[in-house]
Amino acid sequence: MIGRTFNPASYAISHLRHGLFRSLTTVATLSITLAFAILTSSMLLGVTQRIDEDEGLLRGNIPGSIDMFSEFNIDPELSEEARSALLHWMFLTTALVLIVAFFIVYNTMAMSVEERRAEIGVLRAIGFSTAEVLRIFLIEGGMIGIISWTVALFLGMPFIVNLAAYLISKGDGGLFFVQPVIDLPLAALSLAVSVGLCLISTYLASIRRIRKPPVDTMRPAV
Amino acid sequence: MSDGQFITVEGIRKTYRVGGSNVNALDGLDMTLAKGEMCTLMGPSGSGKTTLLNMLGGLDVPDEGSVRIGKVELTRLSEGQRAAFRRGNVGFIFQFFNLIPSLTALENVLVPVMFDSRDMSDRARELLERVGLSNREGHLPGELSGGERQRVAIARALINDPSLILADEPTGNIDSETAREIVSLFKELNSEGKTLILATHDRLVASRSGRSLRMRDGRLVRGGPQKRAPAGDSG
Repeated sequence: MIGRTFNPASYAISHLRHGLFRSLTTVATLSITLAFAILTSSMLLGVTQRIDEDEGLLRGNIPGSIDMFSEFNIDPELSEEARSALLHWMFLTTALVLIVAFFIVYNTMAMSVEERRAEIGVLRAIGFSTAEVLRIFLIEGGMIGIISWTVALFLGMPFIVNLAAYLISKGDGGLFFVQPVIDLPLAALSLAVSVGLCLISTYLASIRRIRKPPVDTMRPAV
Repeated sequence: MSDGQFITVEGIRKTYRVGGSNVNALDGLDMTLAKGEMCTLMGPSGSGKTTLLNMLGGLDVPDEGSVRIGKVELTRLSEGQRAAFRRGNVGFIFQFFNLIPSLTALENVLVPVMFDSRDMSDRARELLERVGLSNREGHLPGELSGGERQRVAIARALINDPSLILADEPTGNIDSETAREIVSLFKELNSEGKTLILATHDRLVASRSGRSLRMRDGRLVRGGPQKRAPAGDSG
């Protein structure tokens, strides 16, 4: 990636590739938490729809999921109180998982920024503004968000769903489950949440260091 | 100060607070430099060489005094304006090369122009060829020797065709043979009209520059035409 194509995006890709192990572990942990968040969100939507529509089993279309879910449903006899508790539980779980995801990205980016303080100083010294250096880091964070979302949706979700289905099938009855529904709005929303979460955590992790004068930041890098 | 000078520094002072006491890094320093001059700054560690280079490159601003490069008064510029000035007019070369470890030699040369829409890859290749590294463009800094890294850093400093090149201990971390090659390259750039200021402890570098300035305690204690450096000058 050189010449006209050497731009901040290729700079960010080079860095992610260079620190491949860290990039992969970040993507892996973030995609698992995101998959949980998408799962609980979809179940939340499923339960809501179930309650609203009060009809039979909601059919989902999770890529790679198995039919086992058709056996699980909200218990028709479930009381309003229990349904409400279920909704609250799912909402809290989703929120908690997203907070964890935020700290995963924040921690990764904060470590990366600290290790790259000399690099930031050099970029500032050769004439990049605070906004331009920030843009490089945000592109990197945004890429982590997009890759993690893709992995979460197409690998993480089927894995978690099938695992949950298997565990429930081994249970002694009395459990209920809702078929998760992944539709376009939820996919788009989860992408926006994933990228937004990465951008915010990257911004918070890097802005203080980037704003420092280059003479304070610059130390030997290579 | 004198008209027609490319660089005019008047009465600059810079004080840092270190461990509860004030340290005068620059203490009312004056200097001028004509366009196309090659000048070395010598002096002991802590004499203010790097601080002066930082002022000349707009990396830092003095507490008092003025720094004019061409027609631009650097002390009146905002941080953003100084960044733009640096990118367009100043090439920096550092003792520890400060290359980006994740980028190849060619990509490192292209870093200063990565936000540009112009295709600068041919120029970057030309510069790498000029510094003798055309066969190393795909190598990461970690795969290059100290001398090669410094030459990549020089190519990076030249990508925007700056009129002023500032080098802080450019030969401080490389062997003497490579240092000679680097100094020859500086002489070549100087003969093409570039203004160079090199902070150095290396008398080889000083002996080949047109003018040597000596600093002590934040002041210039000797300037003018190059003279043979006295024995025992360890800088």
